[in-house]
Amino acid sequence: MSENEKKGGFFQAIKEFVYGVAAHDSARFAMKSRASMEHLFILITMGDMLGVPILPPYYSLRLLPYVVPQISTWKRRILREKDLTDALA
Amino acid sequence: MNSVIVLILGFIVAFVGYRFYAKYVDTKIMKSDPKRVTPAKMYMDGVDFMPTSKNILFGYQFKSIAGAAPIIGPIIAIQWGWLPALIWILAGTFFIGWVQDYSTAMIAMRNEGASLGGLSHKLISPRARIILLAFIYFYLLLIAGAFGNVVVSTAIGLKAAPMAWLFLTIGGVLAGQMIYRWKKDIMLTTVVTVVIALLGIWLGTIAPSDKVIGANLANSRWVWAIAAFGFCYFAAVLPIWRFALPINYVASYIVFLGLFFGIIGIFVLHPNFTLPAYTNFSIKIGPIWPIMFVTIACGAISGWHSLVSTSGTARQLENELDARPVGGGVMFVEMMLALFALVIAGTIFTSSAEYGTAIAKGPGAIFAGGVAKFLGALGLPATIGRSYGSVMMIVLAITIMQLVIRFMRIATTELLSDVSPVFRNAHIGTIIASLLGMILVLTGWWQYLWVLFGGANQLMASLALMLVTAYLMSEGKPAAYAFYPMIFMFFTTIAALSYTSYSLLQKVLSGAVKGEALIGNTLMGLVGLFLVLAALVLGTEGLKAFKRYKAIRAAASAAKA
Repeated sequence: MSENEKKGGFFQAIKEFVYGVAAHDSARFAMKSRASMEHLFILITMGDMLGVPILPPYYSLRLLPYVVPQISTWKRRILREKDLTDALA
Repeated sequence: MNSVIVLILGFIVAFVGYRFYAKYVDTKIMKSDPKRVTPAKMYMDGVDFMPTSKNILFGYQFKSIAGAAPIIGPIIAIQWGWLPALIWILAGTFFIGWVQDYSTAMIAMRNEGASLGGLSHKLISPRARIILLAFIYFYLLLIAGAFGNVVVSTAIGLKAAPMAWLFLTIGGVLAGQMIYRWKKDIMLTTVVTVVIALLGIWLGTIAPSDKVIGANLANSRWVWAIAAFGFCYFAAVLPIWRFALPINYVASYIVFLGLFFGIIGIFVLHPNFTLPAYTNFSIKIGPIWPIMFVTIACGAISGWHSLVSTSGTARQLENELDARPVGGGVMFVEMMLALFALVIAGTIFTSSAEYGTAIAKGPGAIFAGGVAKFLGALGLPATIGRSYGSVMMIVLAITIMQLVIRFMRIATTELLSDVSPVFRNAHIGTIIASLLGMILVLTGWWQYLWVLFGGANQLMASLALMLVTAYLMSEGKPAAYAFYPMIFMFFTTIAALSYTSYSLLQKVLSGAVKGEALIGNTLMGLVGLFLVLAALVLGTEGLKAFKRYKAIRAAASAAKA
């Protein structure tokens, strides 16, 4: 829920708090699972962007228009330095 | 003293701490700027980095940090008397606890959402990161052991607990199936699964474990240790949406309702403290300094929070101004949870002897007794109240435990996969973590195990404060508000871990313990010793970094002059 969304009063705050306690983690993990699958797919199809040629360029080019919106976040996530503590939260 | 006065004192400390001290640090030292772009916006990927409302993050942070520790710590620490425990909870949170939670979130935000490992690498040294990661593995092992012990002792001490735990698991698994597979409405799912969990709490009272599986099995530590780590095994190897997350989802309602009505119950009953304000400087588990300061961990200060603040919260804060309510404010709420536990332990017994008998069986039964008493004030029958309290205790412990075992599985793969490909197997990593945890649970004396866990947890906090100090020095900001708490926590926890490890290993070397206890004492003593050595190396690295930043600042001042 971004800051652009309408901010409500006290009851909205309570609702958001309960969501944060009960469901926010579930939503994040669902997004993480989806992101992992997507990133794996992009790595297979567009790996040569990172110097990992896997699929022949013909297929990569065919798929490129569909993948374009994801490329910037994909590269950021793949290239970001990670360690064990990232898995905790 | 009346318990309501304790809660009012807590509210006053929270108000003054949050409204004045935290605001001063936020505006004058950290100088939070609402216009500065946070990592959540700068690196938004819709997954880890995602701008999120502060109210949601308040709930997320609370859920992530409020486990069993803020409850168990005060219940054990009241052995020194309720007054020292009360002073430490209030002063620890005011001067140290929120400082760590808030500041680690802020420095992670100012360093592109780096995790603790990344921050150690950048602010201290590359070696600091490697040692920190090894330290974290053993720290997690102690969490698994200490919390595993809580689950086992609660399941044995309260025979209604296993049935309630079983039904909660069924409700949780069903919730996962309904939400993710059957695509059912979330409200319907919540109502159905929470009702199943509540049904289990009631069923536990009419079908206690000794009647269902017999007294021998119901009193066996092996049975419940296998159940606890078997539960964590499934949480670690199954897809997270199928087991771990939906169980946590259902459990959060049970815990939240119990705490909410429990605190109302305290105001209704407003009992007086019946245990002494102060007993002795030294008791069976050790002297008040340093041992009490690590026995009460999460209620005053906890290193676990810094892991959540950096890797989780800092990447979702949409505004720097939100760090104070989320990072700092939640710590004050957790302080209230610790005070709730202190009131329970201090008011439900008629004498110290009665408390002594109860604590020997573990803290779970005491907590459940307290929940029963305070929910009883609102009309809930005592037997159901005890069942409710017991499942709350199990839930608070096992939700952290399952996360820890899952993480240890990943850590095993990361650390050992180069040694042999067999360690890449998820089952192998989980089994190693579970077996190590089980050894601690089955062979270690639980109070020493708790002190070691608390020591490792607080040491983690002092290392996080070291990173905060290094950041402040590198930026030329006043560092005293983090430096002095860091010094206090560092020496206190080193002393506590050394004392406990010495006590354990002395018993081993003198031949005072045999059989299972020999294994438990040796393992716990060696883990404690390793943590002390790792902390000393990290401390040395930190000192070098401080000197480096000081020299850079001195050179810059000289150049200006």
